Amino acid sequence: MIPLPFEYFAPKTLEEALRLVERHGDEAKILAGGQSLLPLMKLRLAAPRFVIDIGRLRGLSYIREESGHILIGAMTTHTEIAESELVRARCPLLAEAAEAIGDTQVRNRGTLGGSLAHADPAADYPAAILALGAEMVASSTAGVRTISARKFFVDMLTTQLRPGEILSQVRVPVLAARTGTAYVKLPQPASGFAIVGAAVVVTCGKAGKIASVSVGLTGVSPKAYRADAVEKALLGKQPTPKLLREAAGNAAADVDALSDLHASAEYRREMAAVLTRRAIERALKRVNGKGA
Amino acid sequence: MKLEGEASLPGTPEQVWALLQDPVRLAKCLPGCERLEPTGPDHYQAVVKFALAAISGKYTGSLAFSEKQPPHSLRMRLEGKGVPGFMKGEGALELTANRDQTKVRYSGEAQVGGMIAAVGQRMMEGAARRIIQQFFESCAKELRLAVRAK
Repeated sequence: MIPLPFEYFAPKTLEEALRLVERHGDEAKILAGGQSLLPLMKLRLAAPRFVIDIGRLRGLSYIREESGHILIGAMTTHTEIAESELVRARCPLLAEAAEAIGDTQVRNRGTLGGSLAHADPAADYPAAILALGAEMVASSTAGVRTISARKFFVDMLTTQLRPGEILSQVRVPVLAARTGTAYVKLPQPASGFAIVGAAVVVTCGKAGKIASVSVGLTGVSPKAYRADAVEKALLGKQPTPKLLREAAGNAAADVDALSDLHASAEYRREMAAVLTRRAIERALKRVNGKGA
Repeated sequence: MKLEGEASLPGTPEQVWALLQDPVRLAKCLPGCERLEPTGPDHYQAVVKFALAAISGKYTGSLAFSEKQPPHSLRMRLEGKGVPGFMKGEGALELTANRDQTKVRYSGEAQVGGMIAAVGQRMMEGAARRIIQQFFESCAKELRLAVRAK
C-alpha cells in the first residue's frame, strides 16, 4: 500500500498548473480529490513519475449561475454539489447523482472534475452529465475549449481531454419549464459504484405529451452513453405505462454490455431497461414540481 | 473471462497470415509492445507496456503459435507477468476471405490474477476489448501500408 516514488508539485494558480502539465505530458497525473488516483497509486496499478496536485489552486471551487447555465468549478466536491441550494433548484439531477456517489468520505474529498476526467465506466456523474447536455471546459496554455457531453466520454477511462489540458469547469444548462429529472441506480453493495445507473431529463408540453427527453446510462458498457432509441420511442407521445415499458426496453439496445463478477451482460441489459423505466416514471412525476 | 468477436482486415488471408508470422511487423501491431523476439519456432518473448489512462504496468512474457493451418487458422497462447499481476490467454484465430478483405474470427479465454484482478475486476473485460480493438486497428493500418508500398 505504498506508492512508487514520484515527484510532487502543488501549484498555486491554474496558469502554473497548466505549465506543469504541458511540460510533463503523459508522464504526469493530475491529482484532484484523490479518490480514484491515490488508491491506484497505492496498489501500484498507477505509477506516474509526476503528480500535479491541483487541490491548492484558488478559484476552481465554485457554483454560480450565468446566462442560463450553472457553472461549476472542477474542484467542487460531490458534497458541495449535493448540498448546493442553487444546484438543487436549477439542475437537481446533478445533486441527485452527487448524493448517490460512494460514501461520505468520498463525497467530501472527491471532485466533479476529477470524477469526470477519470471516466470510470461505473461512475454516477456521466449519466447525469449526458442527460443534462452539459459541457466540459478544458483549459491549456493555448486557451480554453468546450467539449459537449456526447463527445467527452470516449471509452473506458478515456475522455476527449488531451495531454496538457486540465478540465476546469462544467457548464450545466438550467432546467426548462415543465421539466422533471431523476437519477436511479443499482449500486454494487461494497463499492457503491453503479452496476447500472439511469439519468432522465423530460419536458412535457401543455397537453402532457413528451416534448423533449434525454436518457443517460452508466455502468452498462465501457463508457456512459445516451440511450437514443429510448428517447426516439418517447418523443412526441403521451406517456402511458405501456409506452414507458416498451421504450425503456431499448435502453441497452445498441451497446455491448459488460459482464463481471457482480453482474452478467444479460443482467445489466435487463436492469438498464428496468431502471430507465423507473427513472422516466420518477422524472415525469416531478414535472411541474409534482412529487418529491 | 471469455473473449469472442470478429474483425475485418484489408487484404487476403495470405497477407494477414504473413503479418501474424512476422515478429517485426506483429510487434508494431501489439498495443504497447516494446520487444518481441523469437526464442524458437513459433515462440516469442515479449515485453509489453500496458497503459490505460491512470493504470499502467510493464509485463514480460511469451507468445506462442500452434496448430497452424496456413492461411486459415491457428491457436495463440499468451502469458505475461508484471508488478500488478499476471495474465494468461489462449485462443483460436480463423481467417476467411471476404471479397477483397479478410474476416478474422477470434475466440478464447483469458485469466488475469494478482493485484490487477483483485481491484480491477470490473474493468477487466472493457480493457481486454479495448486492447483487442486496438490490435486489429493497428493490423489494418499495417496491412494498408504494405499494400501501398508495393
